[in-house]
Amino acid sequence: MGGWKCGSVRVRALTQYAIRITHPNARRILTWGLAIVTAFASATSAHAVDHNNIDAHRPLSFDDAEAIAFREQALEFGLNLGWPRNRPLGVGLDAEYLYGFAMNSHLHVGFEPSVGGRAGTDDTRFDPGDVSVGLFHNFNRQYGNTPALSLRADLFAPTGRDAKGVAFRLRGIASRQAGQYGRFHVNLDLAGIPGAARDERQFVPGVVLGYSRPVGYPTRFDSTALAELSVRAGEERGTGGVVGIGLGFRKQVGVRSVVDFGIQSDIAGWDGTPRDRLRVIAGYSYGF
Amino acid sequence: MNRFPSSLAGGALLLSLALGAGAAQVVERVPGPGEAGSSAAQRREALPRVPENLPGWLDNKKQNHIFYKRGRYNFDVYNLPRLARDLNGVSVGHAMAYEDLVTGKAGRLETKTFARIDRVLKDPPKFMPDEAALSPTFVRKYGVLEQVFDWTHILHAQTVDVLASKKLTQAEKDREIERLWKYYFESVPYAVTPLPLNMDYLYSQPYSQKFRNTYPKVNGLFWGYHWLQGAMYDLLYRVAPEDQKASYDLAGEQYRKVELYRTDRPFMPMFAEVSPVFGARFPHIANAFDNLHMLHDMVNDILASEWLSEREKEEQIKLAIWMVSAEAHRGEKPGTESADRLHDHRHFVGMPGMGMMKGMTPELMWMPELGWMSMADCHHCSMPLWEGNEAWRNAAVSADGWTMRTRCVLCARDMSAETKGRAILRIPTENPDRVLVVISDEQGNLKTSTPGAVFLEQEESHTGCEEWSRAFTSRAAFEAYVKAHPKLKEAKALSFDEWAQREGKEPDTYAPARGPVENPYRTEVRGAK
Repeated sequence: MGGWKCGSVRVRALTQYAIRITHPNARRILTWGLAIVTAFASATSAHAVDHNNIDAHRPLSFDDAEAIAFREQALEFGLNLGWPRNRPLGVGLDAEYLYGFAMNSHLHVGFEPSVGGRAGTDDTRFDPGDVSVGLFHNFNRQYGNTPALSLRADLFAPTGRDAKGVAFRLRGIASRQAGQYGRFHVNLDLAGIPGAARDERQFVPGVVLGYSRPVGYPTRFDSTALAELSVRAGEERGTGGVVGIGLGFRKQVGVRSVVDFGIQSDIAGWDGTPRDRLRVIAGYSYGF
Repeated sequence: MNRFPSSLAGGALLLSLALGAGAAQVVERVPGPGEAGSSAAQRREALPRVPENLPGWLDNKKQNHIFYKRGRYNFDVYNLPRLARDLNGVSVGHAMAYEDLVTGKAGRLETKTFARIDRVLKDPPKFMPDEAALSPTFVRKYGVLEQVFDWTHILHAQTVDVLASKKLTQAEKDREIERLWKYYFESVPYAVTPLPLNMDYLYSQPYSQKFRNTYPKVNGLFWGYHWLQGAMYDLLYRVAPEDQKASYDLAGEQYRKVELYRTDRPFMPMFAEVSPVFGARFPHIANAFDNLHMLHDMVNDILASEWLSEREKEEQIKLAIWMVSAEAHRGEKPGTESADRLHDHRHFVGMPGMGMMKGMTPELMWMPELGWMSMADCHHCSMPLWEGNEAWRNAAVSADGWTMRTRCVLCARDMSAETKGRAILRIPTENPDRVLVVISDEQGNLKTSTPGAVFLEQEESHTGCEEWSRAFTSRAAFEAYVKAHPKLKEAKALSFDEWAQREGKEPDTYAPARGPVENPYRTEVRGAK
């Protein structure tokens, strides 16, 4: 397996998780992840982000068009279990730090250690994953019929196993009111691996249509339900696209802390493109 | 005995009898463009014009969210869980009403919307909801207004966090509140002005009073929220954490049972009417909150004025934001009068944290049921209140929705005894940072969380009440004071119970204030309490 095989996995990691839990390191990751999440959940009831502000991976793959507040910081953690087709169960940790460094803009630093089988590779060893650095900028809030518009750019340093070169992703985001309380979110992605191997695409487009809606009104104000439909091209040349769906839920559990749960599945794929049968995600975010 | 409120009102009654028809002429006013008898065309003609070349931020399309100033006190309002939840309910109440106003549901505001909000206020959310998520249509249409509301609400939230903090000393709290103001004022262009504004002018626009007259119950809720957002400051300022809780147990009940449902107020509750101690100490903050609350009223009236087109509503809301903005008053000074009433920054004597009100003068203000008063004088003995660095020596009494300052401890006790219902007394001791909180029940029985307090009360003329009427945290402090004042060497140290049973004579210095009319709002009071 060449390095660009891993590159494909890195691109995939932008939108999905798939790790084998049977691997010896899986238990370690799971234990550490749960410990971190539990520590923050119990220690910081006075901090975190709002249940209605949605970031990628918390728990689904789409972002809304809102930057975190100027001078706000947030930590977001997630554990995911993945069942890729024809591969064993896996587990991964997803962690991200966000900082609102300017009005309507934030930067983020993330890492995604994982262990086990990932869709698109036979390697099941522990992988520290690529470290990502990104920038998010909101151009405008929604006004009149103009949706809120944002751009997110991520760079992925090749810190993962067998990784080479710096990958990137550009994501255009539009959020718009749908009905009185719901919101649609359209994410247009372009992931790129400059110098990809011959059998891989250098640029992988994708689109995610997300929907979020607070639930419980008019008596409860602490939860939001989410759904998504995604389509992305296969990373390898000659493979077709993948269609994924997801359902999620975010619930405020502290003044600034939110837990999230989600499930995702690649329900259709063409021409042998690798896909995941099911992913289960649980996460915790807090702002400070 | 119930001398206090009736004495003031009685003075006003005598005055009105003396003035006779003349007084009536003063309060009678020609119907304004916004009142019955004037056509939509006349009202439209009288609308203030939006100035050209307004700053660009009034049309910004940005999100512009700013996080709280960092502090170890952040979210300490949750030290008082019930207050925190009531404030969370306020956010829901604001948002639900605004969303219905802009989505064609104004017709059900007094019925279904009121019931929906009321249900939340009775069981408020545990966490502060995102108002923008509750009123997405409103925020989409009036995003800049939401920025002004949101940013000033953060000032509200953080100042209360500081006051509720158990980690900060009183001096640290005072300093941090000033830093919070600086953070608020300097971070964005859309801060609300700290100058006192002429409330009568702002509430005399062609659209004014429409919301109150059309939706009295929901307007009552808004004014109830603003009562809470003002009253909580004196309840918490310089008060020990255990006393803060006891105080809010009482005041919260007043809020939930009475203040939210009052429809007889002639005007929104002013900050200094409910938190005069904090208002005098931080007048810029008191003014900013009053100006913000007036902006709420102006927006409510605009949105409720069906004779305004959507475009006119947007323009008038933009203008209302401008009128209360700091930028519109840049370079102007508190206390100055102007022929242009928008720039009239006079305040009441003794209360720099309160702008001019309808029919009042800087020397005299009027409050419902209490009548006329000077904000520079003790409301019980008419002697001058302490000011400046000595202001901590004033006592304060909160009862029946109002808060009054008194010059001495006796005045505070007797004022509470003369007032119907329960009361909270905040009494200074020899330590400026240690306020003694005394709670009075319905029967006038007093209790305190500091039963070891010692009192001096050797009653003489109130011209010297600050010497012979005092409270101390301990016997030692009492003895040190008496030793330093040989004239009081025979004075007996009173226990709390002994002091609580006492009743002073009517102050020999008391002189009821006499205003120009009986009630400057006489033509505007619609409801009945």
